Amino acid sequence: MKIKVCGLKYSKNIKELLQLPIDYAGFIFYPKSPRYVGDEFDTEIPALFPKNTRKVGVFVNEELDVLLATGEKYKLNAMQLHGGESAEYCQKVKEAGFEVIKAFQMNDNFQFESLEEYENICDFFLFDTKTENYGGSGRKFNWKLLENYKGSIPFFLSGGIGAQDAEQIKQLSHDKFYALDLNSGFELQPAKKNANQLEIFLNKLELNTMNKDKYAVDERGYYGEFGGAYIPELLRKNVDELQENYLKILASEQFKKDYARLLDNYVGRPTPLTKAGNLSKRYGTNIYLKREDLTHTGAHKINNTIGQILLAKYMGKKRIIAETGAGQHGVATATVCALFGLECVVYMGALDVKRQAPNVARMKMLGAKVVPAISGNQTLKDATNEAIRDWIANPESFYLIGSVVGPHPYPDLVTRLQSIISEEIREQLAKETGNPNPNYVIACVGGGSNAAGAFYHYLNEKDVNLVAVEASGLGVDSGETAATITIGDIGFIHGSKTMLMQDEDGQITEPYSISAGLDYPGVGPLHAHLAVSGRAQFLSATDEEALNAAKVLAESEGIIPALESSHALAILEKMQFKKDDVVVVNLSGRGDKDMETYMKHFA
Amino acid sequence: MNRIDQLFQNKQKDILSIYFPAGYPKLEDTLPTLQLLQDKGVDLVEIGIPFSDPLADGPVIQSAAKQALDNGMSLQLLFNQLKDVRKSITIPLILMGYWNTVYKFGVDAFLTECQNVGIDGVILPDLPLEEYQEEYKEKFEAAGVHNVLLVTPQTTDKRLTIIEKAASGFLYMVSTAATTGGALQASKEREAYFKKIAGLDIPSLIGFGIHDKTSFQHAASFSNGAIIGTAFIKALEKGNAAEFLESLQ
Repeated sequence: MKIKVCGLKYSKNIKELLQLPIDYAGFIFYPKSPRYVGDEFDTEIPALFPKNTRKVGVFVNEELDVLLATGEKYKLNAMQLHGGESAEYCQKVKEAGFEVIKAFQMNDNFQFESLEEYENICDFFLFDTKTENYGGSGRKFNWKLLENYKGSIPFFLSGGIGAQDAEQIKQLSHDKFYALDLNSGFELQPAKKNANQLEIFLNKLELNTMNKDKYAVDERGYYGEFGGAYIPELLRKNVDELQENYLKILASEQFKKDYARLLDNYVGRPTPLTKAGNLSKRYGTNIYLKREDLTHTGAHKINNTIGQILLAKYMGKKRIIAETGAGQHGVATATVCALFGLECVVYMGALDVKRQAPNVARMKMLGAKVVPAISGNQTLKDATNEAIRDWIANPESFYLIGSVVGPHPYPDLVTRLQSIISEEIREQLAKETGNPNPNYVIACVGGGSNAAGAFYHYLNEKDVNLVAVEASGLGVDSGETAATITIGDIGFIHGSKTMLMQDEDGQITEPYSISAGLDYPGVGPLHAHLAVSGRAQFLSATDEEALNAAKVLAESEGIIPALESSHALAILEKMQFKKDDVVVVNLSGRGDKDMETYMKHFA
Repeated sequence: MNRIDQLFQNKQKDILSIYFPAGYPKLEDTLPTLQLLQDKGVDLVEIGIPFSDPLADGPVIQSAAKQALDNGMSLQLLFNQLKDVRKSITIPLILMGYWNTVYKFGVDAFLTECQNVGIDGVILPDLPLEEYQEEYKEKFEAAGVHNVLLVTPQTTDKRLTIIEKAASGFLYMVSTAATTGGALQASKEREAYFKKIAGLDIPSLIGFGIHDKTSFQHAASFSNGAIIGTAFIKALEKGNAAEFLESLQ
């Protein structure tokens, strides 16, 4: 449910509201309204709201050119047309680039058929109480009438909503109910809102979730200032198509059923949460390992590819494109393509093709075509560029990205698909210790998909410390590193605004780590946000430290971890824990693929 | 008046625009290439800002950009090279590059440099229209720098309406769903798309896949002109840029 607060005017008052989850801010440009903003309304006032709050101008039968000029002047995003505006008029407003919210006044005689001609034009309807004066009555209409609305356009519910209505609103089950329009029910005087009262009300609706939503992606794909979709127009339609479909499909019963079934009987979930007894003794605390290494194909990557392949299938896609660094995501993609009988093309840096021969052979055996990326430095970043270029040239294909990177909606999509990790940790810990929350969750971060999955259900649990471990290669200051958050700054890579390793000229630099899965010069925008906001602690481990940690785990627990996961384990050496702490380390993958490296170092 | 606007006011047909990366094939080639292009009657030039990760470009432009970077090219160096460009070059100049380079340089500093050297427009394919309008439009307009927008065969009518309204200078009409350097094949759908864009209130140039006189004339028959990039870079590489430009006449 979205929240619109309407009838705003005063900057001081607006500043009191900025902490509230307001999705739409309404400004009334109808001179007869007691909440009219006035002739000399300051253009800076709507801009007080953050970018993701849509600014709405409310008009009643205004001259079109006046309305458009006002929209331009105050940088409005949406127009609420509250009079008898025709469908043709709405069309013109729409064509000028504004979202159109057409208001209608409800009474027992309202003919819902009259909405039909507006259906293909307007973005939203707004149902208000019928009055003589175009709303503003402070009275509610009979909400039972909404049952007669069978149209396809989502609607705002308006008219006299007050603090006492929270329970009734929670009961509303209309599937097109989109937003609440709040105005006179929350005022100290006309156009001056009661911030406290609003906050209490939104809390009752369980919407005042600034803490909860602070780490969720907004509608335009931002986590705080990071994310978005910085893509060439050539990709716009592909990305739009995905943006429009992914949430719908992920929420569908069919998807949930298929995804759960495959995770259960193909991937081998739930994966165990192993209490590492010897490791716990060593570090004087309670260490649990989330065993993603025990999944089919040997790493968490498959959680994502199973989900995305279902998405591709429901979207009718026949050809799958993927990028891979070490080859783990490539193998996980080739696996699900084989399972679903879909064509699979995997781009892999030419250098990585040479370094990761066993995974190349696995992909080929699974029927995938492996294309060496010969541009740039011939590693993951270049493979990603090539995969995106393929997608530009073949817009009917599905790009199955391997981490929480790329343009919106990929970071959110992959995070959701990996969130099964923390979902299971919660259940397993609750059973084991009586408390679903540990004191620490530790995970390694390259692009950041296993960490995103391990953190997801703990993002709003303040008591859970989230620790992300980057690969610092030969050392953070050595010039041979992949510790993006530690040494990078804000930039744009693969369609996303995030933290990034780059030189002074804005050229993206080549990262280095002994672990091929962590040497990415960017990081998922969620992680950039977690780092900047301080929600997660970002540490790093060197090649050397990771190798030692791998050896410790092998010898003390009988588990050979992937080099990537070894970075997370390495941080145990550097942290101080209390005896009673519960520490979960996400063991993202198994070490079979890294045996050559281990043999070289431990021979 | 902005030289791009002046150009489209004076000439509506067969406008030839050439793209080449700054600092290619040699670091100091930017100015001599510009002079050659002007001497050979080219109407408009797009100077590429080399970038390590050019997503929308095919192999030829990628490797030219890489060579330019290896030569030591940078955005600051490009502005230095262009310091006195307006003493000799009078045709409109556009900088084409990726958003990360400009963002890192600093948008205000970038626009100031553009104004100082006399840049008429920019093409930044991966800066989304929405971000541009909300954050940067006013700055670009104040600096008198057109932000040239792309349309593609996949652009929906709804989006086209928005782009048309936001466009300035001209529309860069991408001929086909591909990265740069492909071949342009004629088809009914493509012609219908060209005609639709040509029917808009803003001039347009067709790019992607234009590589010789025939494809230039074909493209130019549906628009105000066309853009050649990859084919010209190949000519630069071979050292026969002048002959290539003459062959287009």
